[in-house]
Amino acid sequence: MKPVKLNVINLEKSEYTGGKSSLCPGCGHDQISNVIIQAAWENGIKPEGIAKMSGIGCSSKTPAYFLSKSHGFNTVHGRMPSVTTGANMVNKSLSFLAVSGDGDTASIGIGQFIHAIRRNLDMVYIIENNGVYGLTKGQYSATVEKGSKKKKGTTNEQAPIDLCAMAINLGCTFVARSFSGSKKQLTALVRAAMSHRGMAVIDVISPCVTFANNDESYRSYNYVKANDEVLHILDYIPHFSPLEEVDVPEGEFSEISLFDGSTLRLETVGDEHDPTNAVAALAAIHEGAAEGRHVTGLLHYNPNQPTATDTLGLTEAPLMGLSEEQNRPSKESLDKVNAGFRAK
Amino acid sequence: MSRIINDFTINVATANGTGSQSSNLIILHSMFEMGVPVSGKNLFPSNISGLPTWFIIRASDKGYQAPGDETNIQIMMNKDTWSKDLDSLKPGTIIVYNEDAKLPVERDDCVCLGMPMTKMARGINPKLARLMANMYYVGALAHLLGIDEKAIEKAVEQQFRGKEKAIELNNRAISEGRSYAEENWDFECQFAVEARDKPSETFLIEGNEAVALGSIYGGINMLSWYPITPSSSLAESIISWIPKLKEGEDGGLTCAVVQAEDELAAAGMVLGAGWAGGRGMTCTSGPGISLMSEFIGLFYFSEVPGVIWDINRTGPSTGLPTRTQQGDLSMCYEASHGDTQHIVLIPGTVDECFEFGWRAFDYAERFQTLVFGFGDLDLGMNRWSTSGFDYPSEKMDRGKVIRTQEELDAIANFGRYRDVDGDGIAYRTLPGSGLAPILYRGTGHDEDGIYSEDPQVYHATMERLRRKIDGARDVLPAPILREEEEGEIGIIFYGSMENTIVEIDDILEESGLSVSTCRVRALPYHSEVEDFIDRHDRVIVLEINRDGQLYGILRKELPANMIPKMHSVAYSDGMPPRAREYAERIIQVLEASE
Repeated sequence: MKPVKLNVINLEKSEYTGGKSSLCPGCGHDQISNVIIQAAWENGIKPEGIAKMSGIGCSSKTPAYFLSKSHGFNTVHGRMPSVTTGANMVNKSLSFLAVSGDGDTASIGIGQFIHAIRRNLDMVYIIENNGVYGLTKGQYSATVEKGSKKKKGTTNEQAPIDLCAMAINLGCTFVARSFSGSKKQLTALVRAAMSHRGMAVIDVISPCVTFANNDESYRSYNYVKANDEVLHILDYIPHFSPLEEVDVPEGEFSEISLFDGSTLRLETVGDEHDPTNAVAALAAIHEGAAEGRHVTGLLHYNPNQPTATDTLGLTEAPLMGLSEEQNRPSKESLDKVNAGFRAK
Repeated sequence: MSRIINDFTINVATANGTGSQSSNLIILHSMFEMGVPVSGKNLFPSNISGLPTWFIIRASDKGYQAPGDETNIQIMMNKDTWSKDLDSLKPGTIIVYNEDAKLPVERDDCVCLGMPMTKMARGINPKLARLMANMYYVGALAHLLGIDEKAIEKAVEQQFRGKEKAIELNNRAISEGRSYAEENWDFECQFAVEARDKPSETFLIEGNEAVALGSIYGGINMLSWYPITPSSSLAESIISWIPKLKEGEDGGLTCAVVQAEDELAAAGMVLGAGWAGGRGMTCTSGPGISLMSEFIGLFYFSEVPGVIWDINRTGPSTGLPTRTQQGDLSMCYEASHGDTQHIVLIPGTVDECFEFGWRAFDYAERFQTLVFGFGDLDLGMNRWSTSGFDYPSEKMDRGKVIRTQEELDAIANFGRYRDVDGDGIAYRTLPGSGLAPILYRGTGHDEDGIYSEDPQVYHATMERLRRKIDGARDVLPAPILREEEEGEIGIIFYGSMENTIVEIDDILEESGLSVSTCRVRALPYHSEVEDFIDRHDRVIVLEINRDGQLYGILRKELPANMIPKMHSVAYSDGMPPRAREYAERIIQVLEASE
């Protein structure tokens, strides 16, 4: 019998799994679900401390397939950020882990996505981005590249919305892009995002095996593998085990300190990318896109910015847990309010 | 000459943005200070500056609060509406006009009293002349009606609290206006105010501020809102009271405020707050409810508590944004696609605005559903009298929330949507607790919250939801009944019509009709409403809209044999209801139904 492997809080990985997926066999989204399970387990997060959030679409169904010990809310199409905002306001101790799609985020929900970034909502926001609407059988979404062609139908002629570039322009504090087939890179990014305080957006190219995995699609497995421009090799070093997974020669890497004390090590490949430089990140995205390449890695990082609840002057304890005495002002205070009006 | 005491209507015609709100409130408050029963209605445009505004002041010893049938004293300050205002007046009206408008006042059948208001104001302060001119009609009215000088001074002080210069200048302008009228007008006004014993505890307050305070005493934890007339002042009032009333032990606040990107997001935030175990609310008006409708269905189907206040303005569409109506009632009751039904609380007074403000959260958490507060512009943005708000008489009802493993273990076969107690209300656990976690969803689900398309499961869920909301009927505020013994004619009405019903009743009585009234205060309607209908031969459903929305709801839900005696009287033109307009329609409908 194999010894059971436990994480830092002595839980088996099975404590982080979920129900059986009902997505198409081979769907990139299932690989992302596995990465989420792996990342949460490796980071030693208490499952009950996580709130899983999603909108509507193939991607938004996936919270049923991971972290079954966590509460979650599969909300309405494109409006998940607002529900997350409300929950965050009354319980800032929850760790919000959200999954959305390209239709959910770039079309119907683009307004709420933008405003969640503007508020620096303390959440991990993973976009499972395949360029098509799956549940309604393969219509193009707003992120698909001009010139890309899905399995059936005509070539897309409209310019795409690049969600990472948009997020960087909006001042998002953690912006990354990855590929559902790059398990190691994606795991490091999800783990780092979970260690970040503020809004962490990870746009994951996730091929739709049913409607757009043909070679003319810019989001097929073959195309992405051939055109993935990796900015750096990533190693996540957790705060509770600083020596894990370190095997890079001195001078060929840089490090980023994350909010919870963990570190993200960026091993240089080709030109060095400085994630604190937003302009460089935008240049990398746009230069890559001009040549049909997907630039992946940690694009931008801007830590220590106030989050949505930081500027509100709230009491320390989560508001949902306040007692009646803490929540309802006293009778004496109402007497004063009445007296104040009478004295006017 | 025998004078008419405390019984007249004044109409002030000004342009928006000229500071007339201050002068009008000074008139209102000075009369209130004297103990004169008085009400004020602000008819303002959807505009920042320049468009016409009217302010109607009604004094009535009988306590009538609606605008009177006709204007007794007309103040003319606005050139743009000058001739229209003049033409609308009945013979004998007293017209006080600003001579500096340099426009003709050709009404020989009226009493026309001019004053060079702008010129005199310029004498005090040339820069502020446009604003100050309004204070001269305050002086003119003080002279004509005999408003006490001290009461005026107190009202001025209240209006410009702490601004000594403004208090002095405005008092001077009012005093100059009074002197000018005394010296130049050879006219004894037949209308007058007379001081009454004013109960020392009464004060005037807008319905929106009363709801705001009620919400705070309901323990609100999160306000999300998107600005829209006429609900913005409700949110802004909550915001202004939070630092004074919602401070925690560590000095931090116990209520978060988010100005949302739109009404959809505001509703989503309320849902998130309720799901996470907090008391969330938003306030809006009809267009906002339309936008929120998708989330409203999710509240209903996923059974999450939340509160939305609808301060009704005139629809449809953008409609008349600064005018009043009861046009959103059926929308609130059944908002969102599919079969839904929501609890609606309908205050008719500022005291009820406060009470329903805190109770809304208790009902929402008890029934695990969305609760609407239903106000309107008339109640929300005009000032009404109260003798002070009563502290909540009941402890907070947090509903069936399981907070410990022991509580969870005590329930055999727990499921988020399993009806353990037979009242349709299941137990819930909160995110973060680790207790029986589920993925909440707006899709079909079984008793454990697992996705399901099973026909029997769906049908059972929908029947339980119907039973759950139906169970709220007799828990929600009962109707207020004013019953005559005859039992022939009953009038059912709701909301801000409360402020007109006494006058309507008196007009009907003058016509020889004896009526009982029943003010509905919540939906689904209380069983006493049905009993009231049962006791009367003919029942009028009176409301401020076109289609008779409560009438429609009653027709749908009442036993079929009761329908023939029900008659709708529904009328709306955007204006606050005038008693005679509605009384005459009631008489017509009753005559036709005989």
